[in-house]
Amino acid sequence: MRLWKAVALLNLALGIGLLVGYLWWGREATRLRRETTVTIQAGAAGLEEREWTARGVVRSVIPEINVLVLTHEDIPGFMPSMTMGFRAANPQLYAGLQVGDVIRFTLKGVPPNVTIVAITKEGKT
Amino acid sequence: MTALGLCARWAHLGAGVFLVGTFAFLLLAGRSDRLTVVAWERTLTRWTRWAAGLLLLSGLLSLSYQAAVVTGHPGDALSAATMLRLLGATQFGTVWLLRHGLLFLLAGLILFRDREESGWDWAAFRGEGLLLGGTGLGLLAWAGHAAAVEPGGLAAAGADALHLLAVGVWLGGLLPFALLLRAAGQEEGADARPFAVLAARSFSQMSLVAVLVVAATGIWNAWNQIGNVASLLGTRYGNLLLLKLGLFLPIIALAAVNRLRLLPALSGEAETVGRPAMRRLASFVALEFALGAAILAVVILMTVTPPGRHTQPWWPLPFRLAYPPPHDVAGAGTRLLVGSQVALVGVLGVVAGWFLGWRRRLVVSVAAAVLVAGLGVALPPLTVEAYPTTYRRSAVPYQAASIADGRTIFATHCAACHGRTAEGDGPEATGLRRRPANLTEPHVGQHTAGDILWWLTHGIPKSGMPGFGDRLSEAERWDVVNFLRALSAAGRARKLTEVVEPDRPWLAAPDVTYAVGPGAPRSLKDFRGRRVVLLVLFTLPESRPRLGQLARNYDILQTMGAEVLAVPTDGGDQIISRLGAWPRILFPVVTDGAKETVAAYSLFQPAAWIRTPAHVEYLIDRQGYLRARWTPDSGGWAEVSGLLAEIQQLNQETITGPPAEEHVH
Repeated sequence: MRLWKAVALLNLALGIGLLVGYLWWGREATRLRRETTVTIQAGAAGLEEREWTARGVVRSVIPEINVLVLTHEDIPGFMPSMTMGFRAANPQLYAGLQVGDVIRFTLKGVPPNVTIVAITKEGKT
Repeated sequence: MTALGLCARWAHLGAGVFLVGTFAFLLLAGRSDRLTVVAWERTLTRWTRWAAGLLLLSGLLSLSYQAAVVTGHPGDALSAATMLRLLGATQFGTVWLLRHGLLFLLAGLILFRDREESGWDWAAFRGEGLLLGGTGLGLLAWAGHAAAVEPGGLAAAGADALHLLAVGVWLGGLLPFALLLRAAGQEEGADARPFAVLAARSFSQMSLVAVLVVAATGIWNAWNQIGNVASLLGTRYGNLLLLKLGLFLPIIALAAVNRLRLLPALSGEAETVGRPAMRRLASFVALEFALGAAILAVVILMTVTPPGRHTQPWWPLPFRLAYPPPHDVAGAGTRLLVGSQVALVGVLGVVAGWFLGWRRRLVVSVAAAVLVAGLGVALPPLTVEAYPTTYRRSAVPYQAASIADGRTIFATHCAACHGRTAEGDGPEATGLRRRPANLTEPHVGQHTAGDILWWLTHGIPKSGMPGFGDRLSEAERWDVVNFLRALSAAGRARKLTEVVEPDRPWLAAPDVTYAVGPGAPRSLKDFRGRRVVLLVLFTLPESRPRLGQLARNYDILQTMGAEVLAVPTDGGDQIISRLGAWPRILFPVVTDGAKETVAAYSLFQPAAWIRTPAHVEYLIDRQGYLRARWTPDSGGWAEVSGLLAEIQQLNQETITGPPAEEHVH
């Protein structure tokens, strides 16, 4: 075979290889992005009932609407550390709690509808 | 081991450059059936076979060396498992596989080269050799420092690839060029002379372009990897670059002689002018190639040296230039003006003299003397004493905790002479030859952090200032540097009021790390680019009404894009309980990190040395600058609407300029 024909074939093969590689890369990137989104969504909003336990400090008790405002540590698989209000399952849970108390609390429910179902007092801040 | 690995890399780079250059030169020189030319091409073909073999072998050796480097065990140089992991799981591996696939094809092309029956075959062989070799060489950029540049790694690696290609075409072409000239310069090579002269002309044109590309991409690379004069002069990477330039300049000088003197002489009368010129050109070109090979060796050393931008520079000179003139030298401004104008005349004279041609040497040397004289007048007032650590970057960020530690260290070690308030009036100061420096004056801010570190470490011999290098760790000395920076900033902070100066950020806010209860630690920097922060230093019980007022308006403040961060001046012990239940305080109240924050930020309050202020509020913009300060005895923000107006002012600013730097400069 003549050299130039062989070279032309080789370059054709390289070009096709480049194209296939580029397309594969594009598909792979899209797939990974989709998987990441799905994983994040699954992590943030699972459909079944779940339970978390974390520590927090009481910032406010609002019995009128049955809400405790807590500054809590990271709740793995649910939310990072922040200050927010949580509904309590019943008023007895927060009876005797004061602003500044450090508590360990248990959240239960289907996100985002979760309620505090248990509280133990650990100290004061 | 290391030497062997570096030699392998050098051989790899050299062989790659040679192959690219040879194929480019063969294409450029064109076809000829003269006997001498055919013999020259045959020699080159034989050399390319060796080069291709060397390329693959040294590639394997480099892989094995890299395996030993990444694991740190010399034994892993022969471990197949490590090499497989290196190939499969790293960018180095991907690039290596791609490149060696191409180089393998190139070796096959060279080894199984068939007879060339037509012009098509001729061009296909050389073109393909250039294509495969060039891609293989250019891809090296993605396995080097350039690919790690952030941001803009693609542009940096692209420029580096272009650099490699241009070097390949030019430097690699020098060897076949020298061989051709030597063959054609002999008496029996006369049949190849016209071919050689034409080839020399086209190669000269092409290498001019290639050298310009090399210079441009080289400057761009140097900017990416080094970035400033201190790193160029003061780091190993920078010094290697200077060495590289030092080898490059004689090549340029040789190339200029070749192009301006020898090239026109080539077509002269054969016996007396043409052939001697050709032989001399051959040896000069060979010399250029040898220097080029030395440059490649330096480049290999640079590949295993961390780039200057990422290492601490060690300033080699006893002085540096600073603008504006730091000392009050009499007439510094006038000298600068006059000197720079004289120097400018000198520059113009050099350029004009060069192009005019009339008594060139005389005009140029006089103009150069004028230039030197001008610089001699202008520069001396700008020089400042400098130390090896002058351009050190702080190892400890400009943070409240560091400033607080520095403040404690200052009270223990420095206050005896410099005074409790750092004004240079300590009890021990009276016995000294020179009065200790008043560290609250603005001059402190004009020294680099590295200067102050040097004085702290080694003392100032003539003044009686002792060195603390053996008493304080380096981190502690940086703490003192951060404290002094805060102190200098505190002097300027006296000008802060409760009114935001529109578009004029000038006082960097030290970063603060804090925690609220069991929550994760956070820092002030987390709010960069997102929220304006109202930092409140408060004392109970006086501050309780104000905190309640802020709490009632917390939702409005949040809507305006502001966050409130309350820091108790008496430490965070049970602070949330002590604040009580009503009115509800839902903004972050610092329980951990309060003491450090207060120690640093109370400096920015006038007369803070005498007592910690009971209540003070700072407004910090989205770029991390302190913009306003309020205390209850001034009216201003007593009504929350006054505070909201200032936040609104900050919200209206278009964010320009850099964020406040956390390192001292």
